[in-house]
Amino acid sequence: MPFPILRTPVVVLSEIISILEPNETVTASFCSKNFKRLLKNQYQQMKPLMWAICMIDFENDRRVIIVKSGIEANVLSAVHISKFNESTSKVVEINGYKIEFSPEYPILYFEDQELGSKWIVDYVTDLLNIDVRGLAIGRSSAWTVDWINKRQEKPLNRFALFKPTSNNSNADESMDYVLKNVRSSDFIGINEDVSDNYRFNGKLGPVKELAISRNGYWVTCDNLMNFDAIAIYIGRSRLTVSILNLFLRHWRAGGSPRLEYLEVFFENGTVFENTFDGDLEIVRTNEVGTYPVSYGEPVVIRNCYRVQRTDGIMALVDCDRQRFYMIVQHEKASH
Amino acid sequence: MSSTEQGTSSAAPAEPTTAPESAAAPEVPESFYYVHGKDKVVHKVSAGALQHSALIHGMISNLGYTEEQAKANPFPFENIDGDILQMVVDWCNQHKGKPTPPEDTNLPKQKEKLFDLVLAVNYLEIKELLTYCCKQVAMMVKGKSPEEIREIWMIPTDAEDEAAEKEAKKRAGKEAAGETAAAAGDAK
Repeated sequence: MPFPILRTPVVVLSEIISILEPNETVTASFCSKNFKRLLKNQYQQMKPLMWAICMIDFENDRRVIIVKSGIEANVLSAVHISKFNESTSKVVEINGYKIEFSPEYPILYFEDQELGSKWIVDYVTDLLNIDVRGLAIGRSSAWTVDWINKRQEKPLNRFALFKPTSNNSNADESMDYVLKNVRSSDFIGINEDVSDNYRFNGKLGPVKELAISRNGYWVTCDNLMNFDAIAIYIGRSRLTVSILNLFLRHWRAGGSPRLEYLEVFFENGTVFENTFDGDLEIVRTNEVGTYPVSYGEPVVIRNCYRVQRTDGIMALVDCDRQRFYMIVQHEKASH
Repeated sequence: MSSTEQGTSSAAPAEPTTAPESAAAPEVPESFYYVHGKDKVVHKVSAGALQHSALIHGMISNLGYTEEQAKANPFPFENIDGDILQMVVDWCNQHKGKPTPPEDTNLPKQKEKLFDLVLAVNYLEIKELLTYCCKQVAMMVKGKSPEEIREIWMIPTDAEDEAAEKEAKKRAGKEAAGETAAAAGDAK
Protein backbone atom coordinates (compact mmCIF):
# COMPACT_ATOMS: atom_id res chain seq x y z
CA MET A 1 0.00 0.00 0.00
CA PRO A 2 1.60 3.30 -1.01
CA PHE A 3 2.20 6.13 1.37
CA PRO A 4 1.90 9.60 -0.20
CA ILE A 5 4.87 11.10 1.58
CA LEU A 6 4.63 14.44 -0.21
CA ARG A 7 1.17 15.01 1.22
CA THR A 8 2.34 14.78 4.82
CA PRO A 9 2.87 17.93 6.93
CA VAL A 10 6.40 19.35 6.94
CA VAL A 11 7.04 18.20 10.52
CA VAL A 12 6.20 14.63 9.61
CA LEU A 13 8.22 14.73 6.41
CA SER A 14 11.25 16.04 8.32
CA GLU A 15 10.87 13.31 10.92
CA ILE A 16 10.71 10.57 8.28
CA ILE A 17 13.73 11.96 6.45
CA SER A 18 15.70 12.22 9.68
CA ILE A 19 15.09 8.51 10.32
CA LEU A 20 16.43 7.39 6.94
CA GLU A 21 19.82 5.71 6.95
CA PRO A 22 22.54 7.47 4.92
CA ASN A 23 22.41 4.95 2.04
CA GLU A 24 18.62 5.17 1.92
CA THR A 25 18.81 8.96 1.74
CA VAL A 26 21.22 8.85 -1.18
CA THR A 27 19.20 6.20 -3.01
CA ALA A 28 15.95 8.12 -2.43
CA SER A 29 17.55 11.26 -3.86
CA PHE A 30 17.58 9.57 -7.27
CA CYS A 31 13.75 9.35 -7.27
CA SER A 32 13.32 12.73 -8.95
CA LYS A 33 14.92 16.16 -9.17
CA ASN A 34 12.19 17.61 -6.98
CA PHE A 35 12.58 14.95 -4.32
CA LYS A 36 16.34 15.45 -4.32
CA ARG A 37 15.78 19.18 -3.86
CA LEU A 38 13.44 18.45 -0.99
CA LEU A 39 15.99 16.18 0.73
CA LYS A 40 18.70 18.75 0.16
CA ASN A 41 16.60 21.49 1.75
CA GLN A 42 15.92 19.27 4.72
CA TYR A 43 19.61 18.59 5.25
CA GLN A 44 20.43 22.25 4.87
CA GLN A 45 18.13 22.95 7.81
CA MET A 46 19.13 20.01 10.00
CA LYS A 47 22.76 19.41 9.19
CA PRO A 48 23.46 15.76 10.03
CA LEU A 49 26.44 16.69 12.14
CA MET A 50 26.90 13.18 13.41
CA TRP A 51 27.41 11.90 9.90
CA ALA A 52 30.93 11.87 8.52
CA ILE A 53 31.48 11.53 4.79
CA CYS A 54 34.56 9.55 3.79
CA MET A 55 35.99 9.14 0.33
CA ILE A 56 37.71 5.92 -0.62
CA ASP A 57 39.83 6.01 -3.76
CA PHE A 58 42.03 2.96 -3.85
CA GLU A 59 42.72 1.38 -7.22
CA ASN A 60 39.34 0.14 -8.49
CA ASP A 61 37.59 0.75 -5.22
CA ARG A 62 35.97 4.19 -5.43
CA ARG A 63 33.25 4.76 -2.90
CA VAL A 64 31.68 7.30 -0.63
CA ILE A 65 30.91 5.98 2.80
CA ILE A 66 29.15 7.66 5.68
CA VAL A 67 30.09 6.95 9.26
CA LYS A 68 27.14 7.34 11.60
CA SER A 69 27.52 6.56 15.30
CA GLY A 70 30.70 4.62 14.52
CA ILE A 71 29.03 2.45 11.88
CA GLU A 72 30.22 2.72 8.29
CA ALA A 73 27.81 2.45 5.39
CA ASN A 74 28.53 2.61 1.67
CA VAL A 75 26.28 5.17 0.05
CA LEU A 76 27.56 5.57 -3.51
CA SER A 77 30.18 3.92 -5.67
CA ALA A 78 31.89 4.70 -8.98
CA VAL A 79 32.94 1.80 -11.17
CA HIS A 80 34.69 1.78 -14.52
CA ILE A 81 32.33 1.25 -17.43
CA SER A 82 34.32 -1.83 -18.47
CA LYS A 83 32.88 -3.64 -15.43
CA PHE A 84 29.36 -3.00 -16.62
CA ASN A 85 27.63 -6.20 -17.58
CA GLU A 86 24.61 -5.50 -19.69
CA SER A 87 23.13 -8.96 -19.21
CA THR A 88 23.23 -8.95 -15.40
CA SER A 89 23.18 -5.28 -14.42
CA LYS A 90 19.84 -3.52 -14.35
CA VAL A 91 20.66 0.11 -14.93
CA VAL A 92 18.88 3.37 -15.50
CA GLU A 93 20.36 6.45 -17.12
CA ILE A 94 20.35 9.65 -15.13
CA ASN A 95 22.01 12.77 -16.53
CA GLY A 96 23.71 10.58 -19.11
CA TYR A 97 25.26 8.24 -16.53
CA LYS A 98 24.45 4.59 -16.16
CA ILE A 99 23.38 3.87 -12.61
CA GLU A 100 22.75 0.47 -11.08
CA PHE A 101 20.71 0.30 -7.91
CA SER A 102 21.68 -2.55 -5.63
CA PRO A 103 19.73 -3.05 -2.38
CA GLU A 104 22.66 -1.50 -0.49
CA TYR A 105 23.80 1.50 -2.54
CA PRO A 106 23.84 2.87 -6.08
CA ILE A 107 26.74 2.17 -8.43
CA LEU A 108 27.60 4.69 -11.14
CA TYR A 109 29.50 3.59 -14.24
CA PHE A 110 32.14 5.96 -15.59
CA GLU A 111 34.60 6.06 -18.44
CA ASP A 112 36.89 8.51 -16.65
CA GLN A 113 37.64 7.14 -13.18
CA GLU A 114 38.80 10.45 -11.73
CA LEU A 115 35.65 12.13 -12.96
CA GLY A 116 33.64 9.29 -11.42
CA SER A 117 35.33 9.73 -8.05
CA LYS A 118 34.74 13.47 -8.08
CA TRP A 119 31.14 13.05 -9.22
CA ILE A 120 30.10 10.73 -6.38
CA VAL A 121 31.78 12.87 -3.71
CA ASP A 122 30.28 16.08 -5.08
CA TYR A 123 26.87 14.44 -5.23
CA VAL A 124 26.83 13.29 -1.61
CA THR A 125 28.40 16.42 -0.12
CA ASP A 126 25.97 18.60 -2.06
CA LEU A 127 22.98 16.50 -1.01
CA LEU A 128 23.83 16.41 2.68
CA ASN A 129 25.53 19.79 2.87
CA ILE A 130 28.53 18.47 4.79
CA ASP A 131 32.26 18.31 4.06
CA VAL A 132 34.40 15.27 3.48
CA ARG A 133 35.87 14.19 6.82
CA GLY A 134 37.81 11.09 5.88
CA LEU A 135 39.99 10.15 2.92
CA ALA A 136 41.55 6.76 2.23
CA ILE A 137 43.58 6.51 -0.96
CA GLY A 138 46.11 4.54 -2.90
CA ARG A 139 49.24 5.74 -4.65
CA SER A 140 47.52 6.68 -7.89
CA SER A 141 44.96 8.85 -6.13
CA ALA A 142 47.33 11.45 -4.66
CA TRP A 143 45.39 14.09 -6.63
CA THR A 144 42.49 13.71 -4.18
CA VAL A 145 44.51 15.41 -1.42
CA ASP A 146 44.81 18.68 -3.29
CA TRP A 147 41.27 18.35 -4.65
CA ILE A 148 39.86 18.03 -1.12
CA ASN A 149 42.00 20.96 0.11
CA LYS A 150 40.61 23.16 -2.64
CA ARG A 151 36.95 22.18 -2.30
CA GLN A 152 36.56 22.74 1.44
CA GLU A 153 37.93 25.02 4.13
CA LYS A 154 37.86 22.51 6.96
CA PRO A 155 40.67 19.96 7.01
CA LEU A 156 39.97 16.26 6.98
CA ASN A 157 39.57 14.40 10.25
CA ARG A 158 41.19 11.20 9.11
CA PHE A 159 43.51 10.36 6.26
CA ALA A 160 45.09 7.11 5.18
CA LEU A 161 47.49 6.25 2.36
CA PHE A 162 47.69 2.55 1.47
CA LYS A 163 50.34 0.79 -0.53
CA PRO A 164 49.12 -0.60 -3.83
CA THR A 165 48.59 -4.24 -4.60
CA SER A 166 51.04 -4.03 -7.52
CA ASN A 167 54.20 -2.04 -7.05
CA ASN A 168 54.53 -0.65 -10.56
CA SER A 169 54.30 3.10 -10.13
CA ASN A 170 56.42 5.77 -8.51
CA ALA A 171 55.78 5.62 -4.79
CA ASP A 172 58.31 8.31 -3.82
CA GLU A 173 56.70 11.01 -5.90
CA SER A 174 53.14 10.40 -4.76
CA MET A 175 54.23 9.93 -1.14
CA ASP A 176 56.07 13.24 -1.19
CA TYR A 177 53.06 14.98 -2.68
CA VAL A 178 50.73 13.50 -0.10
CA LEU A 179 52.94 14.25 2.91
CA LYS A 180 53.50 17.83 1.80
CA ASN A 181 49.83 18.58 1.13
CA VAL A 182 47.67 16.53 3.41
CA ARG A 183 45.72 18.34 6.13
CA SER A 184 44.04 16.10 8.66
CA SER A 185 43.20 17.03 12.21
CA ASP A 186 42.78 13.68 13.97
CA PHE A 187 44.66 10.96 12.16
CA ILE A 188 47.20 10.47 9.42
CA GLY A 189 48.03 6.89 8.56
CA ILE A 190 50.79 6.10 6.08
CA ASN A 191 51.53 2.65 4.75
CA GLU A 192 53.52 2.99 1.57
CA ASP A 193 56.53 1.17 0.10
CA VAL A 194 58.86 4.02 -0.81
CA SER A 195 62.39 3.44 -2.08
CA ASP A 196 65.31 3.14 0.32
CA ASN A 197 66.59 6.48 -0.97
CA TYR A 198 63.38 8.33 -0.25
CA ARG A 199 63.74 11.27 2.12
CA PHE A 200 61.00 13.61 3.23
CA ASN A 201 62.14 17.11 4.05
CA GLY A 202 58.91 18.85 4.88
CA LYS A 203 56.71 19.20 7.94
CA LEU A 204 53.76 17.00 8.78
CA GLY A 205 50.89 18.03 11.01
CA PRO A 206 49.46 19.37 13.18
CA VAL A 207 47.56 16.16 13.77
CA LYS A 208 46.50 14.24 16.85
CA GLU A 209 47.79 10.86 15.74
CA LEU A 210 50.37 9.93 13.16
CA ALA A 211 50.79 6.25 12.31
CA ILE A 212 53.44 5.26 9.83
CA SER A 213 52.38 1.72 10.28
CA ARG A 214 54.42 -0.91 8.49
CA ASN A 215 56.97 0.92 6.42
CA GLY A 216 58.54 3.61 8.53
CA TYR A 217 62.12 2.88 7.41
CA TRP A 218 62.30 6.25 5.64
CA VAL A 219 61.69 8.28 8.81
CA THR A 220 64.79 10.19 9.88
CA CYS A 221 65.61 11.99 13.10
CA ASP A 222 64.82 15.30 11.39
CA ASN A 223 61.43 13.94 10.35
CA LEU A 224 60.70 12.82 13.88
CA MET A 225 61.60 16.26 15.21
CA ASN A 226 59.40 17.97 12.62
CA PHE A 227 56.31 15.81 13.01
CA ASP A 228 53.71 17.91 14.82
CA ALA A 229 51.58 15.21 16.43
CA ILE A 230 50.29 14.19 19.84
CA ALA A 231 50.80 10.47 19.32
CA ILE A 232 53.29 9.00 16.87
CA TYR A 233 53.70 5.37 15.89
CA ILE A 234 56.46 4.31 13.54
CA GLY A 235 56.68 0.73 12.32
CA ARG A 236 59.73 -0.96 10.67
CA SER A 237 61.93 1.93 11.69
CA ARG A 238 65.66 2.17 11.01
CA LEU A 239 66.18 4.68 13.78
CA THR A 240 68.89 3.68 16.22
CA VAL A 241 69.23 4.33 19.92
CA SER A 242 71.82 7.01 19.25
CA ILE A 243 69.32 8.77 16.96
CA LEU A 244 66.66 8.47 19.63
CA ASN A 245 69.14 10.07 22.04
CA LEU A 246 69.29 13.03 19.64
CA PHE A 247 65.50 13.16 19.62
CA LEU A 248 65.36 13.10 23.41
CA ARG A 249 67.87 15.97 23.53
CA HIS A 250 65.63 17.94 21.14
CA TRP A 251 62.58 17.13 23.30
CA ARG A 252 64.33 18.15 26.52
CA ALA A 253 65.13 21.51 24.98
CA GLY A 254 61.44 22.13 24.26
CA GLY A 255 61.08 20.46 20.86
CA SER A 256 57.94 18.52 19.88
CA PRO A 257 56.02 20.24 22.70
CA ARG A 258 52.65 18.61 21.93
CA LEU A 259 54.00 15.07 21.91
CA GLU A 260 52.32 12.72 24.39
CA TYR A 261 53.23 9.33 23.02
CA LEU A 262 55.93 7.91 20.77
CA GLU A 263 56.29 4.28 19.80
CA VAL A 264 59.00 3.10 17.44
CA PHE A 265 59.12 -0.48 16.23
CA PHE A 266 62.62 -1.35 14.98
CA GLU A 267 62.94 -3.06 11.64
CA ASN A 268 65.73 -5.40 12.55
CA GLY A 269 65.90 -5.12 16.30
CA THR A 270 68.40 -2.78 17.85
CA VAL A 271 71.23 -3.36 20.28
CA PHE A 272 70.27 -1.61 23.45
CA GLU A 273 73.37 -1.92 25.58
CA ASN A 274 74.80 1.55 25.91
CA THR A 275 71.51 2.87 27.22
CA PHE A 276 70.97 6.60 26.98
CA ASP A 277 73.54 9.37 26.81
CA GLY A 278 74.63 10.70 30.17
CA ASP A 279 73.76 14.34 29.46
CA LEU A 280 70.08 13.39 29.13
CA GLU A 281 70.04 12.74 32.90
CA ILE A 282 67.83 9.71 32.43
CA VAL A 283 67.18 7.74 35.59
CA ARG A 284 65.65 4.36 36.25
CA THR A 285 62.23 4.44 37.87
CA ASN A 286 59.65 1.99 39.12
CA GLU A 287 56.84 4.25 37.91
CA VAL A 288 54.28 2.80 35.54
CA GLY A 289 53.39 4.65 32.36
CA THR A 290 50.08 4.13 30.56
CA TYR A 291 48.85 5.53 27.28
CA PRO A 292 45.45 4.87 25.70
CA VAL A 293 46.47 4.16 22.09
CA SER A 294 43.74 4.26 19.46
CA TYR A 295 44.62 0.90 17.89
CA GLY A 296 44.16 -1.40 20.87
CA GLU A 297 44.55 -1.89 24.59
CA PRO A 298 46.34 0.89 26.48
CA VAL A 299 50.12 0.58 26.34
CA VAL A 300 51.67 0.06 29.78
CA ILE A 301 55.39 0.41 30.46
CA ARG A 302 57.04 -0.68 33.71
CA ASN A 303 60.60 -0.71 35.06
CA CYS A 304 61.40 2.06 32.69
CA TYR A 305 63.38 5.33 32.67
CA ARG A 306 62.43 8.87 33.50
CA VAL A 307 63.64 11.89 31.57
CA GLN A 308 62.87 15.50 32.38
CA ARG A 309 62.43 18.47 30.11
CA THR A 310 64.07 21.75 31.03
CA ASP A 311 60.63 23.19 31.87
CA GLY A 312 59.98 20.38 34.35
CA ILE A 313 57.71 18.15 32.28
CA MET A 314 58.65 14.53 32.61
CA ALA A 315 58.42 11.52 30.36
CA LEU A 316 58.80 7.81 30.88
CA VAL A 317 60.81 5.97 28.26
CA ASP A 318 61.46 2.33 27.70
CA CYS A 319 63.41 0.48 25.08
CA ASP A 320 64.08 -3.13 24.22
CA ARG A 321 65.41 -4.85 21.11
CA GLN A 322 62.11 -4.39 19.33
CA ARG A 323 60.50 -1.21 20.54
CA PHE A 324 61.07 2.24 21.97
CA TYR A 325 58.31 3.86 23.99
CA MET A 326 57.97 7.37 25.31
CA ILE A 327 55.02 8.57 27.37
CA VAL A 328 55.05 12.27 28.25
CA GLN A 329 53.46 13.12 31.56
CA HIS A 330 51.90 16.50 30.72
CA GLU A 331 49.19 16.00 33.33
CA LYS A 332 51.74 15.62 36.15
CA ALA A 333 53.23 18.98 35.31
CA SER A 334 49.88 20.71 35.46
CA HIS A 335 48.93 19.24 38.87
CA MET B 1 27.09 -4.90 66.76
CA SER B 2 30.24 -5.19 64.72
CA SER B 3 31.83 -2.15 63.16
CA THR B 4 30.97 -3.43 59.68
CA GLU B 5 27.32 -3.73 60.60
CA GLN B 6 27.35 -0.27 62.09
CA GLY B 7 28.92 1.07 58.94
CA THR B 8 26.42 -0.67 56.78
CA SER B 9 23.40 0.43 58.74
CA SER B 10 24.51 4.05 58.86
CA ALA B 11 25.17 4.11 55.14
CA ALA B 12 21.96 2.39 54.17
CA PRO B 13 18.86 4.45 53.51
CA ALA B 14 16.59 4.82 56.51
CA GLU B 15 13.67 2.43 56.86
CA PRO B 16 10.48 4.02 55.59
CA THR B 17 8.55 5.33 58.55
CA THR B 18 5.49 6.43 56.66
CA ALA B 19 2.50 4.17 56.25
CA PRO B 20 1.79 2.59 52.86
CA GLU B 21 0.69 5.08 50.24
CA SER B 22 -2.92 3.91 50.18
CA ALA B 23 -3.35 4.64 53.86
CA ALA B 24 -1.39 7.91 53.83
CA ALA B 25 -3.20 9.57 50.95
CA PRO B 26 -6.55 8.46 49.65
CA GLU B 27 -6.27 7.43 46.02
CA VAL B 28 -7.64 10.12 43.72
CA PRO B 29 -10.27 8.60 41.46
CA GLU B 30 -9.15 8.59 37.86
CA SER B 31 -10.92 11.15 35.73
CA PHE B 32 -12.21 10.33 32.27
CA TYR B 33 -12.86 12.36 29.19
CA TYR B 34 -14.75 11.62 26.03
CA VAL B 35 -13.66 12.05 22.43
CA HIS B 36 -15.25 11.32 19.11
CA GLY B 37 -14.16 11.36 15.50
CA LYS B 38 -15.91 11.82 12.18
CA ASP B 39 -18.23 8.85 12.88
CA LYS B 40 -19.49 10.44 16.15
CA VAL B 41 -18.73 7.25 18.09
CA VAL B 42 -17.72 8.43 21.54
CA HIS B 43 -14.67 6.91 23.25
CA LYS B 44 -14.18 7.13 26.99
CA VAL B 45 -10.49 7.72 27.77
CA SER B 46 -8.73 8.28 31.07
CA ALA B 47 -6.84 11.51 31.64
CA GLY B 48 -3.72 9.38 32.17
CA ALA B 49 -3.98 7.87 28.70
CA LEU B 50 -4.74 11.25 27.14
CA GLN B 51 -1.51 12.66 28.54
CA HIS B 52 0.21 11.21 25.48
CA SER B 53 -1.54 13.82 23.36
CA ALA B 54 -0.04 17.26 23.94
CA LEU B 55 -3.06 18.81 22.22
CA ILE B 56 -5.71 17.11 24.40
CA HIS B 57 -3.60 17.37 27.54
CA GLY B 58 -3.40 21.12 26.98
CA MET B 59 -7.17 21.28 26.48
CA ILE B 60 -8.12 19.34 29.61
CA SER B 61 -5.44 20.45 32.02
CA ASN B 62 -7.44 23.34 33.46
CA LEU B 63 -10.99 22.22 32.76
CA GLY B 64 -11.82 20.54 36.06
CA TYR B 65 -14.84 18.80 34.53
CA THR B 66 -17.02 16.52 36.61
CA GLU B 67 -17.77 13.10 35.14
CA GLU B 68 -21.16 14.38 33.97
CA GLN B 69 -19.73 17.50 32.39
CA ALA B 70 -17.08 15.48 30.59
CA LYS B 71 -19.69 13.04 29.30
CA ALA B 72 -21.87 15.87 28.09
CA ASN B 73 -18.98 17.61 26.31
CA PRO B 74 -17.00 15.08 24.28
CA PHE B 75 -14.09 16.53 22.34
CA PRO B 76 -14.95 16.47 18.68
CA PHE B 77 -12.23 15.56 16.18
CA GLU B 78 -14.22 15.82 13.01
CA ASN B 79 -11.09 15.60 10.87
CA ILE B 80 -10.21 12.12 12.17
CA ASP B 81 -11.91 8.95 10.94
CA GLY B 82 -13.58 6.90 13.65
CA ASP B 83 -11.43 3.80 13.14
CA ILE B 84 -8.25 5.89 13.22
CA LEU B 85 -9.31 7.57 16.44
CA GLN B 86 -10.04 4.12 17.85
CA MET B 87 -6.47 3.06 17.01
CA VAL B 88 -5.07 6.16 18.68
CA VAL B 89 -7.20 5.68 21.79
CA ASP B 90 -6.17 2.02 22.00
CA TRP B 91 -2.49 2.96 21.73
CA CYS B 92 -2.86 5.65 24.43
CA ASN B 93 -4.58 3.14 26.72
CA GLN B 94 -1.91 0.50 26.13
CA HIS B 95 0.83 2.97 26.97
CA LYS B 96 -0.89 4.73 29.84
CA GLY B 97 1.62 5.65 32.52
CA LYS B 98 4.31 3.48 30.94
CA PRO B 99 7.62 4.58 29.52
CA THR B 100 7.43 4.12 25.77
CA PRO B 101 9.83 1.43 24.49
CA PRO B 102 12.26 2.25 21.67
CA GLU B 103 10.43 -0.15 19.34
CA ASP B 104 6.67 -0.49 19.48
CA THR B 105 5.04 -3.77 18.51
CA ASN B 106 1.55 -2.50 19.32
CA LEU B 107 1.42 -0.24 16.28
CA PRO B 108 -1.55 -0.76 14.01
CA LYS B 109 -0.52 -3.17 11.28
CA GLN B 110 -2.82 -1.98 8.51
CA LYS B 111 -0.51 -0.14 6.16
CA GLU B 112 -3.42 1.37 4.26
CA LYS B 113 -4.36 3.26 7.41
CA LEU B 114 -0.85 4.52 8.09
CA PHE B 115 -1.23 7.79 6.22
CA ASP B 116 -4.45 8.75 8.04
CA LEU B 117 -2.94 7.58 11.30
CA VAL B 118 0.13 9.78 10.78
CA LEU B 119 -2.03 12.82 10.07
CA ALA B 120 -4.18 12.17 13.14
CA VAL B 121 -1.23 11.55 15.42
CA ASN B 122 0.48 14.67 14.16
CA TYR B 123 -2.68 16.70 14.73
CA LEU B 124 -3.13 15.30 18.23
CA GLU B 125 0.57 15.88 18.95
CA ILE B 126 1.37 12.38 20.22
CA LYS B 127 5.10 12.59 19.82
CA GLU B 128 6.11 9.01 20.61
CA LEU B 129 3.45 7.49 18.40
CA LEU B 130 4.39 9.87 15.60
CA THR B 131 8.02 8.73 15.86
CA TYR B 132 6.94 5.07 15.66
CA CYS B 133 4.74 5.78 12.65
CA CYS B 134 7.53 7.69 10.92
CA LYS B 135 9.91 4.80 11.57
CA GLN B 136 7.41 2.50 9.91
CA VAL B 137 7.19 4.82 6.92
CA ALA B 138 10.99 4.96 6.68
CA MET B 139 11.18 1.15 6.92
CA MET B 140 8.96 0.84 3.84
CA VAL B 141 11.84 1.84 1.56
CA LYS B 142 14.64 -0.20 3.14
CA GLY B 143 16.66 -1.90 0.40
CA LYS B 144 14.46 -0.49 -2.37
CA SER B 145 15.51 1.11 -5.65
CA PRO B 146 14.47 4.68 -6.53
CA GLU B 147 11.83 3.26 -8.87
CA GLU B 148 10.34 1.21 -6.04
CA ILE B 149 10.61 4.13 -3.61
CA ARG B 150 8.74 6.30 -6.09
CA GLU B 151 5.91 3.78 -6.15
CA ILE B 152 5.82 3.24 -2.39
CA TRP B 153 5.96 6.92 -1.49
CA MET B 154 3.98 8.10 -4.54
CA ILE B 155 6.74 10.43 -5.73
CA PRO B 156 6.14 11.75 -9.25
CA THR B 157 8.84 11.22 -11.88
CA ASP B 158 10.66 14.20 -13.39
CA ALA B 159 8.43 13.96 -16.45
CA GLU B 160 5.30 13.97 -14.29
CA ASP B 161 6.63 16.94 -12.30
CA GLU B 162 7.36 18.83 -15.51
CA ALA B 163 3.92 18.07 -16.91
CA ALA B 164 2.27 19.19 -13.66
CA GLU B 165 4.33 22.37 -13.67
CA LYS B 166 3.34 23.12 -17.28
CA GLU B 167 -0.28 22.49 -16.43
CA ALA B 168 -0.08 24.76 -13.38
CA LYS B 169 1.52 27.53 -15.48
CA LYS B 170 -1.16 27.13 -18.13
CA ARG B 171 -3.89 27.34 -15.51
CA ALA B 172 -2.27 30.35 -13.86
CA GLY B 173 -2.00 32.03 -17.28
CA LYS B 174 -5.66 31.38 -18.01
CA GLU B 175 -6.69 32.66 -14.60
CA ALA B 176 -4.60 35.81 -15.04
CA ALA B 177 -6.11 36.36 -18.52
CA GLY B 178 -9.58 35.85 -17.06
CA GLU B 179 -8.90 38.35 -14.30
CA THR B 180 -7.57 40.91 -16.82
CA ALA B 181 -10.65 40.46 -19.00
CA ALA B 182 -12.93 40.81 -15.99
CA ALA B 183 -11.10 43.94 -14.87
CA ALA B 184 -11.40 45.40 -18.40
CA GLY B 185 -15.12 44.60 -18.36
CA ASP B 186 -15.50 46.30 -15.00
CA ALA B 187 -13.69 49.38 -16.29
CA LYS B 188 -16.09 49.64 -19.25
